[in-house]
Amino acid sequence: MSTQYNIPVGAQHISLLEPLHFKFTTENEKIVKTEANVGYVHRGIEQACCSKFKFRQVSFVVGRVCGLCSISHTTCYSQVAEKLVKLDIPKRAKYLRMLVIELDRIHSHLLCLSHVAENSGFEALFMQTMRYREFSMELLEAVCGNRIQYDFSIVGGVSRDLRSDVAQSIIEKFKVFRPQLDELVEIYNSNWSLSLKNKGIGVLSRENAIRLNVVGPFARASGLEVDVRNETEDVLPWKEVGFEMITDTAGDVHARNMVRLREIYVSMKIIENIINGLPEGDLLVDTKAFPEGEAVNRIEAPRGELFYYAKGNKTQVLERLKIKAPTFSNIPAMVETFTNNEYASVPAIIGSYDPCLSCTSR
Amino acid sequence: MNRIETSFENLKKDIAAFYKPEVHHFITMNGVDLGNDEIEYQWFFCNYAFPSEITMFTAKANADKQVPSIKNSIVSAWLPEAELVDLLGVDIEDTQKGFVLELDSETAPLRKK
Repeated sequence: MSTQYNIPVGAQHISLLEPLHFKFTTENEKIVKTEANVGYVHRGIEQACCSKFKFRQVSFVVGRVCGLCSISHTTCYSQVAEKLVKLDIPKRAKYLRMLVIELDRIHSHLLCLSHVAENSGFEALFMQTMRYREFSMELLEAVCGNRIQYDFSIVGGVSRDLRSDVAQSIIEKFKVFRPQLDELVEIYNSNWSLSLKNKGIGVLSRENAIRLNVVGPFARASGLEVDVRNETEDVLPWKEVGFEMITDTAGDVHARNMVRLREIYVSMKIIENIINGLPEGDLLVDTKAFPEGEAVNRIEAPRGELFYYAKGNKTQVLERLKIKAPTFSNIPAMVETFTNNEYASVPAIIGSYDPCLSCTSR
Repeated sequence: MNRIETSFENLKKDIAAFYKPEVHHFITMNGVDLGNDEIEYQWFFCNYAFPSEITMFTAKANADKQVPSIKNSIVSAWLPEAELVDLLGVDIEDTQKGFVLELDSETAPLRKK
């Protein structure tokens, strides 16, 4: 019988940019058991939203849940609040929300891919991916005013319009970025060195993805066709702007890379369709109603399904707000997927999970 | 949203009868403090084939009553159950404190004071 060793990774670790702690039990370098701890930075945002802020202000608070996907939080919250006050927002506002969500997905996916490259020991690819990602940050700043934490979606619509010169700039920058993305796809798909670290590593089967209720690219890379954009046509018209589900079957780190890369093409197509077919109309509608009853809303954030539950009591302050982030859903699968992998593969596997503890410990 | 009222006595049986892994996606578990030490517990599901339909199982109980765990039917439920134990300060079957909040931090922050 071989000796077992316990190896801690995190809460602060070079390959983990989030305050997440894993304790690996290994036998001859092979992981036989994993335990996780996420309880380091709980910020009490749900409680603050139900005690210190009026329901219209809450969209600005939840925008601070996460720097990477704040548009998903503000949009998901705005939609659940609009359900509580029975508000139907203008179609132009819906299109602009989708545009920013997809721009956000591009920068988030590229960030994840760069981390996988870095954690796989491919520093040059990390730097190249981050360099190519910069255009998406510049576009987000041009559209929303901020590089991160954009207060773009607000209850009743959006806070800013899309200027025609910014729309033109998006189209122009996509022309430059598309060959760069082709180059990244070629490297992530075919580079021999990267394939040794990514192919057949950290495999999550479709059966386990279903059993563990996995969401987002993590699930789609295992062949589970689950994407909230395919499911919530009643809230945002995703199919109208060209949404297409991307899946893979291998379920390994490489498959997750490829799903994210292919989703960037879809995001670009959606953004171009939105710009070409942007409806005229108002950006914002108002109501004097107070939130009443309960409502739920889901949105596909870059990491997967984001879920909000809200309950109103006919006052300005919500009775209860529940936020379920995608990483929260994926933690049980993360813990199981490490098993039977070499300890040396841990950094690449963690990177491919794209964990966001900022969202999870909101 | 389909709302299905249940009780702690029937919860495991009702969830086991309803939940089909190939059909249903378990979203999360939630708790709402209704005041007077009464909590409404909620379990959310959607259907892969009809995803706009969200089903919520709900059960109300006094806060000091132990909540049955649904881990036997849904393995991944251990995480939202652990979160509620810390944030609402309730007792859920086979669930330890201290996963989301440190043991020396404020207890039950989502309960009405």
